Amino acid sequence: MSTGGRFGITRVVRVRIAIVVVVLAVWEAVAMSGWLFRDVVPRLEKIGRALLTLLAKPDLYGNLGTTAYEVGLSLVVGGIAGVAVGLLMGGNRTLGKAFEPYLHYLGPTPKIIFFPIMIMWFGVGGGSKIAMGAISCFFPMAISTAVGMREIDAVLVRVGKSFRAGVGQMVTKIYLPAMRPAMLTGLRLGLGVAIIGVLLAETKLSNRGLGYMVIQSYTRFDIAEMYALLIVVFLVAIAANALVSRLGALKRGSS
Amino acid sequence: MLRVEGLVKRFAAADETITALDHVSFDVAQGEVLSVIGPSGCGKSTVFNIIGGLTDADEGRVIVEGQTVSGPHPAIGMVFQEESTFPWRTVVENIAFPLEIAGKAKDERIARAREYLALVGLQGFERHYPAELSGGMRQRVAIARTLASHPKILLMDEPFAALDEQTRFLLGDKVLQIQQKLAQTTLLVTHNIAEAVQLSDRVVVMTYRPGRVKRVVAIDLPRPRTSEVAGSVAFQAFVGEIWNDLREEASRGMLEAEAHSRRAT
Amino acid sequence: MTTPRDSGGTWGPIALGLATLVGVLAVIEAMIRIGWINAFIVPLPSAVLLSFERIIVEEGVLKRFLFTAAEALSAGTLVALVGISLGVLLYRRQILRLACENWIAALAAAPLVLLYPLFLVIFGRNAVTIVMIGFLSGLPPAILKTVEGLSGTRRTLIDVGRSFNLSPSQQFRKILFPAALPTIFVGLRLGLMFALINIVGVEFLINFGGLGQFVNELAERYDLPAMYAAIFFVILVSVGFFLLTERIERWLGRAR
Repeated sequence: MSTGGRFGITRVVRVRIAIVVVVLAVWEAVAMSGWLFRDVVPRLEKIGRALLTLLAKPDLYGNLGTTAYEVGLSLVVGGIAGVAVGLLMGGNRTLGKAFEPYLHYLGPTPKIIFFPIMIMWFGVGGGSKIAMGAISCFFPMAISTAVGMREIDAVLVRVGKSFRAGVGQMVTKIYLPAMRPAMLTGLRLGLGVAIIGVLLAETKLSNRGLGYMVIQSYTRFDIAEMYALLIVVFLVAIAANALVSRLGALKRGSS
Repeated sequence: MLRVEGLVKRFAAADETITALDHVSFDVAQGEVLSVIGPSGCGKSTVFNIIGGLTDADEGRVIVEGQTVSGPHPAIGMVFQEESTFPWRTVVENIAFPLEIAGKAKDERIARAREYLALVGLQGFERHYPAELSGGMRQRVAIARTLASHPKILLMDEPFAALDEQTRFLLGDKVLQIQQKLAQTTLLVTHNIAEAVQLSDRVVVMTYRPGRVKRVVAIDLPRPRTSEVAGSVAFQAFVGEIWNDLREEASRGMLEAEAHSRRAT
Repeated sequence: MTTPRDSGGTWGPIALGLATLVGVLAVIEAMIRIGWINAFIVPLPSAVLLSFERIIVEEGVLKRFLFTAAEALSAGTLVALVGISLGVLLYRRQILRLACENWIAALAAAPLVLLYPLFLVIFGRNAVTIVMIGFLSGLPPAILKTVEGLSGTRRTLIDVGRSFNLSPSQQFRKILFPAALPTIFVGLRLGLMFALINIVGVEFLINFGGLGQFVNELAERYDLPAMYAAIFFVILVSVGFFLLTERIERWLGRAR
């Protein structure tokens, strides 16, 4: 949260408003000029109306719910698997050196190409979308858990041992709290890629969900609605990300 | 109270076996403050870890109140050299930690933690996080945390190493006060001669690797003591005496370190 | 990014990893042959292995790879040009930086790739759409890292420049920019990585282009062994690219 430095917060806000106004003005100009095919850059009013129409549709909320459900479940599946694997990698030096490189290098690959396989294994319904989200968020969560575990300050472990803490106490009172910042980062990243994975899968093959709605508006050539949908999706995604960040900063004071 | 008998510890290095400790033995009497001092590389931190039960000796044993030590012993409390406060816990939660491990009820834990908080002079900082405190204050929290577990023997490994000279003296004063008030048996590992003389009743001087007990110096400066004693002639004499013993060991250490660096390049 | 790299048996664990991989594949092969796993859902690993030759010789996977690479290169060039320029602009005008930095960071986490249906409408079903998506996804990290690198220059180095009375543009060219280069490279690498991932992804989704399109085509043809082989090929490309850029980054880092 920028406090504006020597400019003061209001000046920053004014600049932001100015930027938004300029962008909207350019948009409107392009829309009116007809330079691009007319419907492709609709006038702001048209987009605004489409947005309101969309928000009034109960259809939207049902599909939003479906997507949210799929993302949530994929976070659970991918998250638990990721944390478990991460704990193994971070806790055991040999296992870590043997298998963590696979995680490291497999992470930055386009997961969507695995979608046909997911369909074969989990069917054309929600299962394949959840699977897509899960394999997407598995990697950042596993890696950040492993890293978080390895970077625990060794002296803190010795403190626990010097007070003869049991294994369970070591895990709950020392390992997990020490790993919390790293795991929160993993969760934020995981949420981001899980959302992308689920949405893209929905655009490819689905009859429900926000991604499906976007593709529907494309096939119907209802561009204004597509813009409205995209606005909604982006706002929801950014809000979800901000929520997780806020949740992370909330529980404990400073770190 | 505490007896160290014939500790031997060897490490396997690149191409040889290094003997870190060669039959180290000494006693610590009840209520006494004993310092173990030596040049870097004399194995004093190894002694610390063995007595604390975090490492095993290859030969010899440590006896506490008649029991042989194997693993961290309930009668021994350790204060580490590095930053060891838990950054995610408040000051009072940090100090209450050993009581939490021991399963004490919350009210009792917090009450006892508050006592030790006051003992180290940090009243008013209960709810602060370690990141908000200075290095010296964090070390005081670490000391209070260990004291809260009521150890029969307090084991400290260069607890003031990360602090500047003046803070050291002041903190040393604080520790002296606490130790004298509680009559706490204390074993202090350090490389700082002035600190050893300021705080101890006896000082064990160790040789450079392989570490052996070179000499035990009895510090009979009067008690109760404060850091003002640092100005007295007797104090300086003890420091000089110990430095004489140490100088030979320290220079041996330095020469070997240089030879090692030369070999490495 | 810390990967475990201590001393003490670097090859042992690597062998363990490879051996486990081979072992798992062998077990899968056996289970399919016995009939515990349906061969129509999971193809025989041996069949996948044999398909490699087929996809190289018959299906022209290398040509498709070059197509994807060309798209990635175009997107990467755009990311570098626009990203660094915008980054420099934000560095130079502090007020802009304060206003925009958070927004750009938020964009980096947003599902930009979901804009592809929109780009399909605007640009059509061709490489332009794909390159634009790649460009957009790679832009945020490039901008952010450029700003970070420039503003993170050690104070001492700046003072050295001032002590030689360098003009602002000289200061920028000879001190700030070179000092920021390693960080900028990290940003470009991240940007290129995101671009590549999204390029292959969109190729798959719109069934146009190089490798991504290839995987989609094989899936629609239900040629499972070849599809798995193609997916593996994509992974190889991604890993290779990742390793290469890591190497370059480390080489740049040592010069620091």
